[in-house]
Amino acid sequence: MSGRAGTSGTDGSRSFLWISAAGLGLIVALPALFVVLVAIFPGVGSGSLAAPFAHLIATLGDPELLLLGRNTLVLGLGTVGFAALLAVPLAALRALFRVPGALIWDLLILVPFMIPPYIAALSWIMTLQPRGYLQQLTGLHLGPFLFSVPGIMFLMALNTFPVVYFILSRTFETVGARFSDVGRVFGAGPWRAFWRITFPLATPGIAASLLLVFAMTIEEYGTPAALGRRIGFEVLVTGIENRVSEWPIDLPGAAGLSLVLVTMALAAFLVQRWLLNRRDFRILSGKPQAIEKRPLGIWAVPVVALFAFVAALATVIPVLAILGSALSRTISGGLRPANMGLQNFAALLDSGSEGLTALGNSLGLGISTALLAGLLGAITAYAVVKGRGRFRVVLDALSLTPNAMPGVVVAVGIILVWNQPWLPATPYNTPLILLLAYCCILLPQPVRYANAALQQIGDNLEAAARVSGASANRAFARIVLPLMAPSIVTSMILVFAVASRELVASLLVAPIGFETIAVYIWRQFDQGSVGLGMAMAFCAILITTLIPLLLIAVLRRISKNASFSLS
Amino acid sequence: MKTRILAALLAVAAGTAQADVTVYSAGPGGLINALAAGFTEATGTKVEVFQATTGKVMARLEAEAANPVADVVISASWGTATQFADEGLLLDYDSPNAAMVPDFLKMPGAVAQGVSGLVIAWNPTSGTPKPSDWADLAKPEYKDLVTLPDPAASGGTYTMVEAMIANDMTDVLQGLADNGAVVAGANAAALNPVLQGAKAAVFAGVDYITMGNAAKGESIEAIFPPSGTVIAPRPMMILKSTRNEADAKAFYDYVLSDEGQAMVASVYLMPARSDVPADRPLIGDLKLLSAEGAPSRDEVLAAFAGIFN
Repeated sequence: MSGRAGTSGTDGSRSFLWISAAGLGLIVALPALFVVLVAIFPGVGSGSLAAPFAHLIATLGDPELLLLGRNTLVLGLGTVGFAALLAVPLAALRALFRVPGALIWDLLILVPFMIPPYIAALSWIMTLQPRGYLQQLTGLHLGPFLFSVPGIMFLMALNTFPVVYFILSRTFETVGARFSDVGRVFGAGPWRAFWRITFPLATPGIAASLLLVFAMTIEEYGTPAALGRRIGFEVLVTGIENRVSEWPIDLPGAAGLSLVLVTMALAAFLVQRWLLNRRDFRILSGKPQAIEKRPLGIWAVPVVALFAFVAALATVIPVLAILGSALSRTISGGLRPANMGLQNFAALLDSGSEGLTALGNSLGLGISTALLAGLLGAITAYAVVKGRGRFRVVLDALSLTPNAMPGVVVAVGIILVWNQPWLPATPYNTPLILLLAYCCILLPQPVRYANAALQQIGDNLEAAARVSGASANRAFARIVLPLMAPSIVTSMILVFAVASRELVASLLVAPIGFETIAVYIWRQFDQGSVGLGMAMAFCAILITTLIPLLLIAVLRRISKNASFSLS
Repeated sequence: MKTRILAALLAVAAGTAQADVTVYSAGPGGLINALAAGFTEATGTKVEVFQATTGKVMARLEAEAANPVADVVISASWGTATQFADEGLLLDYDSPNAAMVPDFLKMPGAVAQGVSGLVIAWNPTSGTPKPSDWADLAKPEYKDLVTLPDPAASGGTYTMVEAMIANDMTDVLQGLADNGAVVAGANAAALNPVLQGAKAAVFAGVDYITMGNAAKGESIEAIFPPSGTVIAPRPMMILKSTRNEADAKAFYDYVLSDEGQAMVASVYLMPARSDVPADRPLIGDLKLLSAEGAPSRDEVLAAFAGIFN
């Protein structure tokens, strides 16, 4: 950072700073502020400021907190470990070598984003528990591993490792060939070049992606709730969710625990900043150069086997389990041919088109969220990375905060803000409130992606444009934005995928009578129609996978280059 | 300028979202949707429904406390009604259609929409003998094969545990814990492994959900234990803050009408009115455990945690 301060920044970043501040204030800071208020003043929901701090002190003094905090930390770190184990080798192989069928593997590794974690957990339960699908097919079951702490970590890593894979394969690709070739020229062997040059230069990507995994893990509700509760393994998020959704409701307690969770995520964020600021990682400057990938030779077979194994675990098995239960007439009937049929799909498309409406609602919201969050994220990242002043650290921290706020807490904060009786007009009880909630929850993704991309764009490119007479905005639009675009598009696809299936906040803030995909699925499960819920889940996964693929195909056509990809 | 356009848009959006009656209801969703559609057909008044679990409904009500949106609330836990009544949130309305509802299913400000009971939900294809009473599930045949919903998450299980403590039946719970029974979250999470056959039976399953699954062809049976069970009346309340009292009362009347109560019975709930028939055991057919003398909620949950951890 120190080396950058002198040359960095443009006048344009000032207006970006203001746009970013206003957007973050409205979308993130206000709900967060009300969460803090409700933690301190328990009666703030009904407009009272009585008995400040009494509840917060009780919450923080609860011995349970220590246990929840420790479990959260253990789960977060364990999941990061498993995710790194799964993703780093694959990303390096994908970036530096010509892997046969690379695009197919990319696609299969993208799919876990589209599988809602609670659905993935349920499909693993139905596959691995005694008399589950695995036992019905092979006679074996893995119940004891499934319902264990390492089992939970492993499943959560399967949901989250694509983040690391996609960020890292792009980073390795950018760093890889060019710099390590220089190393090779100076006599380093391929391993030495990788460990001494490629790997260290990829640190921002590694740190950023692992931090994201940590934050996603400590914030995730579905998997720990489905699996952890049965073995008494409660984490902060499940503790918070229990306080909000089990009568009697304890909003102040939930808010207090959320503050602990946010503190944890901010600590992780500070560690990441420290890692990044120790060195300069800028690797894009001057003329771009085509990347030359190496052939795998005799290693092609084991490498493909590795990709196939991970893809089977992450995508093929959960999707088949979802399809299996969607095609089953009854759950107790199992996978017998007599029990299979298309009834659930027929009911989904037939039932007064309630399911279709939910699909349409979610897709519309997913696209709107991706556009809004992507734009605000890019502006924020630019203001933070290339801007000046202490204020940008606040913006950076604020943009990360929602990553550590469980969806349910964001929802409560949003209701508290937008349902104030004195507001002349409010988005509350309109679909706009879901847009606000999703943008708040998902903003960290585009910010992280754009951030990592910007860290690697040298200032001299922009400076060159300015010297040649381009205005600040023109330099941003013609130089910085195109270089950031692939990263931003990737993050927008992520945002779209998550927004179109978000459950926890949707359940609470969805306007009355407005159904989304996740809410529809949840209702089916709650009413015992697991098959119908799974049919919807399958359709949703299919659609949310196909839309980004079409988008990428179109973008590649338009821009006539291959810089738009899944990674 | 931009903000003015946005504000105008928001106002329009808020205007169109204004419903005639707004109902917040605990599951089952099919029932509340049918009631809403039936009411609209009968009166022409539109109904907007928010359906979730009792906990989620309560959380939303609490977050909205500064500016309540709901007119009518239906929960699955009677305790919510007594608490709301204590806080003075409920409109006292004596519906003419509530005349045939027994006294223990109504109070000032609330009347039951329907009533659920607790059962053993047993999978006949699980390879276990058919249990007949709670205590059977502590036998070796059911070792590691029983689930029960968490009393913190399921109002029904809570009432069951409370009654067992009040009637000195905690040895049954202890026997279950010793036999490897698993506490599995909310009702659906406890039932799912039993449907697939990973487990054999739910202790304290919800009767109408079990019967509904059996009617769909699932291999599951609801067993009412002869030593006694508990019931959970589902209170329906009109919030005092309603801006639409007349329509809210009309909806309330409709739910308690012959037509409304028949819809309640069709999802295997016990109708609140004693003169409406249902194709299932009714309150009069069940031996009920009283919760008289039970300790406070915190103590009940602590006693339960003491047995199962």
